[in-house]
Amino acid sequence: MRYAEPETVEEGLALLSTHDDARCLAGGASLVSRMNAGQVAPAMLVSLHRIDELATTTESAEGLWLGAMSIHRAVATEARLRGAMEVVRSAASQLAHPAIRNMATLGGSLCLADPKTELPAALVAASARVEVAGPAGRRSLPVEQLLVGAFQTSLGKGELLTRVFLPRGLGGAVGHHLRFSRVSADYPTVSVSLVLAMDGETCSHARVVLGSCGPVPLHVDAADAVLVGSRLEARDVAEAGRLLVQASAPLDDVRGSAEYRRMLIPRLLGRALSQARELAHV
Amino acid sequence: MSHDAKPKPVPVPVGEVVGQSVPKPDAREKVTGRALYTDDLVLPGMLHGALLGSPHPHARILAYDTSRAKALPGVRAVLTAEDLPPVDIGPVIKDQPLLARGKVRYAGEPVAAVAAVDLPTARRALELIDIRYEVLPAALDVDAALRPDAPVIHAPRGEGHPNVATHIRLVEGEPDKVWARCDAIIEDVYETPAQQHVYLEPCTTLAAVDPDTGRITIHTSTQTAFRVQAITAEALAVPMSRIRVQVPRVGGAFGGKVESTNQPITVALAKAAGAPVRLTFSRTDDMRMMRSRHGARIYMRTGATRDGRILARQVRIHYDTGAYADDGPFVAAIGSYFSRGPYRIPHVDVECWSVYTNKLRAGAFRGFGNPQVHFASEIQVDRLAEALGMDPIELRLRNALETGEKWLGGAPVESGTLRACLEKAREVSDWHRRRERPSTTSPGKRRGLGIAAVGHVSALLGSSATVRLNEDGTVNVSTGAVDTGQGSDTALAQVAAGALGLSLEQINFSRPDTDTSPYDWCTGGTRTTFTVGHVITEACEQVREQLFEHASAILERPVKQLELRPGGVVGVRGEPGLSTTFGAISGYALYVAGGPIIASSRWLFPAWQLDTRRTKVEGLPSMGNGFFVFAAQVAEVEVDEVTGKVDVLEAWCVHDVGRALNPAAAAGQVQGGFVQGLGYALTEELVWKDGHLVNPSMSGYKVPGALDVPVAIHPVLLERAFGPGPFGAKGVAEVGVVGAAPAIINAIRHATGARLNQIPATGERVLRALLAHEAPATKDG
Amino acid sequence: MSDKVSLSLTINGAQHALTVAPERTLLDVLREELRMTGTRRGCDAGDCGACTVLVDGLPMLSCLSLPARLGGRDIRTIEGVESGGELHPVQRALVQHGAVQCGFCMSGIVLAAKALLARNPSPTLDEVRHALGSNVCRCSGYARVVEAIASVGGRP
Repeated sequence: MRYAEPETVEEGLALLSTHDDARCLAGGASLVSRMNAGQVAPAMLVSLHRIDELATTTESAEGLWLGAMSIHRAVATEARLRGAMEVVRSAASQLAHPAIRNMATLGGSLCLADPKTELPAALVAASARVEVAGPAGRRSLPVEQLLVGAFQTSLGKGELLTRVFLPRGLGGAVGHHLRFSRVSADYPTVSVSLVLAMDGETCSHARVVLGSCGPVPLHVDAADAVLVGSRLEARDVAEAGRLLVQASAPLDDVRGSAEYRRMLIPRLLGRALSQARELAHV
Repeated sequence: MSHDAKPKPVPVPVGEVVGQSVPKPDAREKVTGRALYTDDLVLPGMLHGALLGSPHPHARILAYDTSRAKALPGVRAVLTAEDLPPVDIGPVIKDQPLLARGKVRYAGEPVAAVAAVDLPTARRALELIDIRYEVLPAALDVDAALRPDAPVIHAPRGEGHPNVATHIRLVEGEPDKVWARCDAIIEDVYETPAQQHVYLEPCTTLAAVDPDTGRITIHTSTQTAFRVQAITAEALAVPMSRIRVQVPRVGGAFGGKVESTNQPITVALAKAAGAPVRLTFSRTDDMRMMRSRHGARIYMRTGATRDGRILARQVRIHYDTGAYADDGPFVAAIGSYFSRGPYRIPHVDVECWSVYTNKLRAGAFRGFGNPQVHFASEIQVDRLAEALGMDPIELRLRNALETGEKWLGGAPVESGTLRACLEKAREVSDWHRRRERPSTTSPGKRRGLGIAAVGHVSALLGSSATVRLNEDGTVNVSTGAVDTGQGSDTALAQVAAGALGLSLEQINFSRPDTDTSPYDWCTGGTRTTFTVGHVITEACEQVREQLFEHASAILERPVKQLELRPGGVVGVRGEPGLSTTFGAISGYALYVAGGPIIASSRWLFPAWQLDTRRTKVEGLPSMGNGFFVFAAQVAEVEVDEVTGKVDVLEAWCVHDVGRALNPAAAAGQVQGGFVQGLGYALTEELVWKDGHLVNPSMSGYKVPGALDVPVAIHPVLLERAFGPGPFGAKGVAEVGVVGAAPAIINAIRHATGARLNQIPATGERVLRALLAHEAPATKDG
Repeated sequence: MSDKVSLSLTINGAQHALTVAPERTLLDVLREELRMTGTRRGCDAGDCGACTVLVDGLPMLSCLSLPARLGGRDIRTIEGVESGGELHPVQRALVQHGAVQCGFCMSGIVLAAKALLARNPSPTLDEVRHALGSNVCRCSGYARVVEAIASVGGRP
């Protein structure tokens, strides 16, 4: 196994382009675990930890850019992640367990594209965009377009994820993340990430994204549309839940059968909405 | 109620050491990281071992080709069954080869072993071993295994279905005739999972063969140095005198290290390689290759009269013992023997099968067959209470076995303290108030309280101890007992200290080593404190006699006037100024008269022979039963109606420990046992798909973490000192796990009305039970 | 052919110059190269917490850490928790409360607790439970462990 520690994105790209089986090493939480188990043995590891740019957070009027190498703990304690962006902060503060949150990174989570994990769903809920650097320069795309399948991203050969943009979202919107798991230190059975805005008792904006309910985070425009303009009454929630269930292809594993996950979708949606609504009214 | 024999009075300890929560002497090296476990040991030239697991649940082995693996640089030995003596081992049925021979019987079964200069090389070599298999149809559950045309897993050993490893029948009274007299009858089928031990330290062995003498030294994580010695000798056809077993610190065991783990194969690798070999399992190999608790399906029917007398019970137990019998026959015996519960039920009919399937072997695990039958029994008793309109504790009290009454099979209950445990549990949990008005809770959550009564067994089989006086008056205590973390070294040192009136600093408690320690069967069966403690007190008594004999000469007083005083002093009763020290006596013995002061004691717990005039018995393997102990466990739960998730909020565990030698250690056993039971109740379950384990990792298989359990697990230790345990102490280690699951399930029922007859009570199962309960049209109504 | 990476690690304040294959984890290096065996291997997958070390004061899993990336960072293992032969208060509390059973989880728990107490000297029982979220103990049921750690900060 070859190993390199580039200090700039450009050096990193050069290394990735010269080795067929090069893998980026971000926080290591998943890749090293899989290496330990003998499931992967990349010919080249490109560790990204020396690239300062990837660990930088910058703020603009529109929102916040988080470097791909931001660890979950840093995301969880980033006080500027308020309003709609709170959904990401909330997910990062709850996922896995403390030591993993001290190691695993935003970019690592995204590029792994593991349908069991919840941060990608929270990023979709936050309408995040990602910046990708590659041989042809940099491009930016919505996070949904990065996550194309279970453990599959749209990253091309020789590309790497540099940073994630979280838009501030609507004024008055709140972000909320609800996870349900067998035990605390586990992947969620189902997670619900949402951004919600209320106009009095009427929902003026909703964006609901589910984790573990398909190969990629599940977002259904029609479900959001049911909620927007409604008073989030039981039948509205049920209808949105029904649309989400209909579009879902949940995981079926030791954390819950697909059928159980379908049962949980409307139930957790209702709970997540009422919790978010409380926050919206604070 | 009468007693068969008048019990000896319980001796009283000298000094203050017994009953103190003294810190464990090994705790310090454990919190500093200095404690040495087997994987921490290194010998010069040491190689690393690894095992290749079968890719099929059932297949014939057609051919091996190990040439590529042997050719890999750094590889020193590659073994298959062809390289090993054709021996099968097993505590009851000799059915397990060290490496699969002829065929594989479960996915993950070790088929080949490698020793190499480092672990990566050993693992690469495993990938280079070519084995050709002919896949055979597999029997993946008990039903499939019991079909007349089921694949036969082992060569038939006699009559009956070849996949039945054990078949037991116990009948008392005339159960068929009394059902008509019952006013309420409850009948159900209960299912319990294959729980895994998940001791935090995976199984590990370091073996070396002396090139000059051929003598084998084994360092290993085990519950028993002596059984490891015996099993290794048997498996490799080596005399036991050629094998020495030493036990470094053990990182948890819980029954999973009662039989051999990877000791014999590591020795075989060391012999083949001509160098020491350390074989430490990865977590996944440990989970796929070792053992689990028996999954069980239990049909149970219980009937009672209107006034709450339980008259009759019928039980049909199927234990899934996996591919090898291991301790399964004994587990089936205990399960059968405990399926009446700690109750006086005059008419009982129990039938039990342990069944081979093409899955990981099931074996010993804390509770040993008893958690399964208690799960069924304690849920059924609650349902009976409901049907009779009685309080669950009241119904249990009316049927609780009392001192002098007989267990199923006729063994006497010598210290029947279940009533005391139940009454105490009722009091400390504020039972009536909480049952009638569950504490308030947030929307979508419901709270409830449940109880389980527990009867278990302590002691059994043989132990010995040697106690000798050093020249300075301090004492060396040797036993073969392994402290697997539960604290027996500390409690047993306290026993010796209490027996001789010494401080703990004056006791050297030596670690197990088959070359120097007297025999002990095993740390298992809730027996170590009880049985080894007993032989220590007996040996100390002999030492006391020797001390008094010499002190009598030194002090010029008759022996009957002498007394032990704290600190290693023999004094004259009524004459505070007249005494001599153990050191002075030791010097006298060593240089003037009598010779060194030393004593040994041995004991085989007298097993009760089942009374065949009272009980019709078929097929019960002898398991050398022991001393009955009792407990009552209460759990308060909160059930999330949205997800079905259950949280345990608080628990009260009342255990009669006879005498708490070290209350903190006993409480730790009670709390730790309860939490293992909580995992069993709510999350822990090995899952197979097509004969392959789908969750052999600590990510897929979830044991409770600190956030998943309450801090408020209240241990309540009753001290009804009685019997041959040291100073009247009784065993506690396994007991805590036995009643936790039914207490929790009964609490879920109380909170929600939902009926669950299967654990783990995952969110999914609970939610379905809730929905079934709320839909009265369904059959569950 | 595997690269070998030369690096210098700062472990418990001391410098260690090493040349290791890049895929070797910090846990491998601690246990096998440096013979610092107090850091335990329980799962090699980040699920048990037995291998916890502190990196710049934060609990991390040495089984998932590649030492090549840790040059210049302050790595603290269980061997570096005592000072001047004195137990850290959390070690003393665990011993005194009878919280230690098999001990295999203890190195990780001591370090997680030390990190907690460094930023929160008087944690509540709940804060202790959260701080132990990465550490499995299979023996104790956690109650005495949590109480012992909380007692250091003066909470019951």
